[in-house]
Amino acid sequence: MARAFRRKGDRLVGKLDEAERLIVASLMEQTRSLLAPDVASTGDAFADLIASLESSVATPEGMPRGTDPGDRDPALARLLPDAHRGDPAVSAEFRRLTEQDLRRRKSDGLTAAIDALRGVTEGDRVSLDQPTAQAFVVALTDTRLLIGERLGLRTEEDAEALELQLRADPDNPVAYAAAVYDFLTWLQDSLVGALMGRRLFP
Amino acid sequence: MTSAPVKEPEIISEQNLEPALPWITLVWNDPVNLMSYVTYVFQTYFGYSRAKAEKLMMDVHVKGKAVVSHGTREAMETDCMAMQGFGLWATFEKDQ
Repeated sequence: MARAFRRKGDRLVGKLDEAERLIVASLMEQTRSLLAPDVASTGDAFADLIASLESSVATPEGMPRGTDPGDRDPALARLLPDAHRGDPAVSAEFRRLTEQDLRRRKSDGLTAAIDALRGVTEGDRVSLDQPTAQAFVVALTDTRLLIGERLGLRTEEDAEALELQLRADPDNPVAYAAAVYDFLTWLQDSLVGALMGRRLFP
Repeated sequence: MTSAPVKEPEIISEQNLEPALPWITLVWNDPVNLMSYVTYVFQTYFGYSRAKAEKLMMDVHVKGKAVVSHGTREAMETDCMAMQGFGLWATFEKDQ
């Protein structure tokens, strides 16, 4: 049974039982596989830069994978959105300059969060230092963005419509996904609160 | 090592005092990101006060978008990339 994150000294500590950790880690893995850069990180920022430049030159038309908006997974379009509304050339240039780096940063953050969940040894305690907590809260965001897209949540109205639909038909097959999404929302809000120093019971 | 300029520094003309901040970074509303998280991101990345971060977050939530920073095009590309890194729906454009 999960317990919200709280600050304890310089760490952020919550509780997730084994089943909860497995679900969260597996969803984070799915998010990471969608976001993984063309070239895996070598741990050396300069070598990574050179490798990503080579990969963007090596592919046809010199464009990184998935640059054509037509063949992008809609979840990817939300995780790495167009950076300019109205000028596709500016968006394409921004993508060329930033996409591989953003993919790598997001993948590395997801890996840190997955490792933290896998590293839990006693009492279901998920105990994060500050940098890992910061990576964890972003990893939860990216994972929720992916599930949110799969649930068709593109506007506030979509979110309300889904809630009404599930209330009317609790056996709907998307109910489980929606419940997991709500769980991740609760978990993220608790970690943000702990990071911002919000008291659990104000 | 460096030395003081030999020439008297020029008086900066009034035109040069105009802030060169012709580009903006925008964050758009979406149904996934939490109000608490958006506030956290604005405070953490921009160093904005809690009050300013909450005001911008409410603008995103209620008006659908907010201008979160001004600056050169390069600075806005950096901010936009950072916001996207946090999972916020960010764009940049030339200020109208």
